[in-house]
Amino acid sequence: MKSRFQTVVLTAIIVAGSIFSANAQDASAILKKMDDVMYSPKDMTGNNKIILIDKNGKEEIREATIQQKGNDKRMFRFTSPASQAGISVLSLPNDVMYLYLPAFGKERRIATSAKNQNFAGTDFSYDDMESVLFSVKYTPKFVKTEGNVYVLELTPVSEKSDYSKVMVQINKTDSYPELMEYYDKGNTKVKEARYTFKKIGNYWNAAEIEMTDLKKNHKTKMQMSDVKYDTGLTDDDFTVRKLKQ
Amino acid sequence: MNRFADGIVKFKWLIIIAVVGLTVFFSYQAKDLHINADIISSLPDDDPVARLYKEIGTQFGGNDMGMIVLETNDVFKAEVIQHIKQITDSIKYTSGVSTVTSLTNILDIKSSEWGIEIGKLVDEYDLPVEQSQLDSLKNYVFSKEMYRGAIVSEDGTATAIMFTLLPEGDKQAVAKEIKDKIEALDLPETTYFGGLPMMMNDINDLIVSDIVWLVPIVFLVIAIILLLSFKSFRGVLLPLLIAGLAVIWTMGLMAVTGYELTIISNIIPVVLLAVGSAYTIHVLNSINHNKLADRKQALVQALRYILIPVILAAVTTAIGFVSFVFGAYLTMIKDFGIFTAVGTLIALILSLFFVPALISGLSMYGKKTAIESEEKQTILTHKILLPLVKFLFKHPKYTLTGWGVLLMLCIGGLMLIKTSVNMADYFKKDNPTRIAEDVMQKKFGGSLPVFVVFEGDMQSPEVLQKMIETQRFMKEDPSIDVTQSVADLIEQMNDVMGEGKRIPDDKAKIEQLWFLLDGQDVMPQLVNDDLTKGVIQSKFASVDTKDIEAFTKKMNRFIEENQNEYCQIELTGMPSVYDKLNSSLLNSQRNSLLIAIALVILIVSAILRSVSKGVFAAIPVVATIIVLLGIMGITGIPLDIATVLVGSIALGIGIDYSIHIITGFNNHLLENGDAEKAIESVILLSGKAIIINVTSVLAGFLVLLFSQIVPLQNFGLLIGISMIGSGFSALSLLPAILILANRKRKIVANNH
Repeated sequence: MKSRFQTVVLTAIIVAGSIFSANAQDASAILKKMDDVMYSPKDMTGNNKIILIDKNGKEEIREATIQQKGNDKRMFRFTSPASQAGISVLSLPNDVMYLYLPAFGKERRIATSAKNQNFAGTDFSYDDMESVLFSVKYTPKFVKTEGNVYVLELTPVSEKSDYSKVMVQINKTDSYPELMEYYDKGNTKVKEARYTFKKIGNYWNAAEIEMTDLKKNHKTKMQMSDVKYDTGLTDDDFTVRKLKQ
Repeated sequence: MNRFADGIVKFKWLIIIAVVGLTVFFSYQAKDLHINADIISSLPDDDPVARLYKEIGTQFGGNDMGMIVLETNDVFKAEVIQHIKQITDSIKYTSGVSTVTSLTNILDIKSSEWGIEIGKLVDEYDLPVEQSQLDSLKNYVFSKEMYRGAIVSEDGTATAIMFTLLPEGDKQAVAKEIKDKIEALDLPETTYFGGLPMMMNDINDLIVSDIVWLVPIVFLVIAIILLLSFKSFRGVLLPLLIAGLAVIWTMGLMAVTGYELTIISNIIPVVLLAVGSAYTIHVLNSINHNKLADRKQALVQALRYILIPVILAAVTTAIGFVSFVFGAYLTMIKDFGIFTAVGTLIALILSLFFVPALISGLSMYGKKTAIESEEKQTILTHKILLPLVKFLFKHPKYTLTGWGVLLMLCIGGLMLIKTSVNMADYFKKDNPTRIAEDVMQKKFGGSLPVFVVFEGDMQSPEVLQKMIETQRFMKEDPSIDVTQSVADLIEQMNDVMGEGKRIPDDKAKIEQLWFLLDGQDVMPQLVNDDLTKGVIQSKFASVDTKDIEAFTKKMNRFIEENQNEYCQIELTGMPSVYDKLNSSLLNSQRNSLLIAIALVILIVSAILRSVSKGVFAAIPVVATIIVLLGIMGITGIPLDIATVLVGSIALGIGIDYSIHIITGFNNHLLENGDAEKAIESVILLSGKAIIINVTSVLAGFLVLLFSQIVPLQNFGLLIGISMIGSGFSALSLLPAILILANRKRKIVANNH
């Protein structure tokens, strides 16, 4: 009797432990897969439409072309509205950015350590725009499976993050994120990003990201079109000289 | 008249049931009465300055700005910086808060030859600890105009943490939560809470504590005085019951009609308790004095006798209150006027219908009252009233001369009268809100917001240039320290682009610089969404009426000279509102007094069918008002939103005494035809009622001396003075005039 009881307990502990560790492994694996889906192309070009929607539902539209190489080089060139056409932003590794304002005919280097500031009036912070792998920035914890998604709780590795956690829903079959919910350090949900992915060639593309600032009741939609992958962009395409063109 | 009195006795049960029913209904409604501590909401919508202020405050968030000041001997110490971060975080994570700005999270933009560095002034995750780090932070903060005197005081002993609240949601509740959270941190530095959301929270507490503490005390004080005067249970119960019902009905009516309790209307219960008991006292007095054997007949006759004087007394008092409707600037004073008038009329109706109905229905006829009042009469009569009568008949001219001298003195004092509109003055000197306001004023250039509103294309170089010029002009005033506008930011960004700290001439450049500012937290506080309106936000450091007047005048002239069809400029803010309020106080005092005096004379003359009696009745109260304003001038009690009410209220209550003397004089004259006898008996009879009434009203209002709100303390004191003044003048000045007028008439009659 006694030994049987012990066996049962022991088995239960082992099973529980293995479920736990399996989940931990699963969580990392799931997040890694998501990173693979999001960051696997060598480069990308496309058109970006930024729709800003205020709390009264009033929309403001900006358009830009995007070029991206790897995870850390990106060029934004605004094409519309006319007053902002030609403004370009070049992001390089190590938080270095260059801004070009055509009306001044000059570029300026912008070093920003304040990453919780929003990018150009959108609801995306510099932090959100950064293409650092999620598995590097966050420690994942498996929460549950729900319908067609895995739910993970991501805890920032750096204590400097503005977020206490990010709840992410990842598509079970195709591993792209569907919803991310950002919580501040008071554990209040402050932002929410909804993703719509489309397959283009071999890659999944975030055709639309809708970011809502729940405090300000303000929304930004980023829509991608004419997306091309792996066209062979080089580092020369991401220089200050190119910024002015 | 008899039919009216008969009717009351006949339908007594119907009346009693109706009153009980209505009381249940109104007390149920009164529970929903809200407190509105927001003084801004009381600014009149028909005044452009006030309307603009409300609009701008809401649109650009200035009215929802709170400020916490941390004071210590040196802000630049590791632990102080740590505490600032603690406060910043606890505010940041309070729901209902939109933004927080403090030393530990403020954005810092540095420009250099190669570009811009956008970062935090202090890295909140790596706070400075070393003395060298703290010293360099200190030097940097003091080197930048946007921090010095704005976020850290010039002397380095205080720092400000500013926050804005989301427009929707319960601002008072959020302010309270913030205050509680910070007090719970139990920091060694001194903390002060300022700004409108915080002030509103405090005022709310003061209103509640005033009502909770003062009303029962007033009730008790009046009860004691009534007991001493009537020495009967009924004499205490009925007047207080009627006054209490009038309070409940009025509060219920306010709730039903959607009004709220304000810093002023919270004294309505006190006023009604003091005023509303008087009518019942007179009705009871009249019933007591009627010695007819048949109780029902006695009641009917007593009612008939008292009907006109009581109606006159109530209507004139109500007129005193209603007169505020025509003169006042703040809507809360108008509301106060309307509802105290309504409450007075309710007390009148209840005294005339409900009191006799109750007496007859519940058989509360007085027992042995005649004997008791005889007894009392002897004390009052022999010690005070008889000697007074003797003196008056002997020296009517001396009496007049004495009053004349007093009035001349007071007219002199009247010239010295001052006004006060500073909200901080409304709190006692040791009140935390008052202390906080003083600190804000000393260390951070005050907390009176100033807005200069520009309407035009906010991206045009001309408009932005105008803003810069206006800001320069404003800063010439010693009371303006810091100004902020979108034009400052454009200049700063232009500098960052390497073209100097100025507004670019080219609109295209401005539009592109805008790209850098878009989405920053501060932008909604400076320009509207479609960029057609922008504001210069500033603070005014002085609360001195003269400084405010000079600044407003100067600014309005500047605006007149500088605006054009492309750029409309308007000035608003607390100084402008104070300026309006200040000039309106004197106007409002004069208007409401003139209206009240005219109406009172008109009504008294009409009902007594004699213009001369109307004028006679007004003489003692006009004299009282002159004495009152004279005393205010001499003692330096200022005319403010509460004391401006005293004159007309004193008139409304004080006129009652004259009316009782004149109607009593009439009745006695008709009875025995001898004017001198009539004067003697009216002083002996009505004199008693007047002295009891003066004492009970006086005591009721003197309770206001314990109010938390300074103007209400002054209000109580001044009403007290006016009560003594009008009682005394009705018993000395008015009879002296009647005696002299009568002697003259006799002489004229004899000559014929």
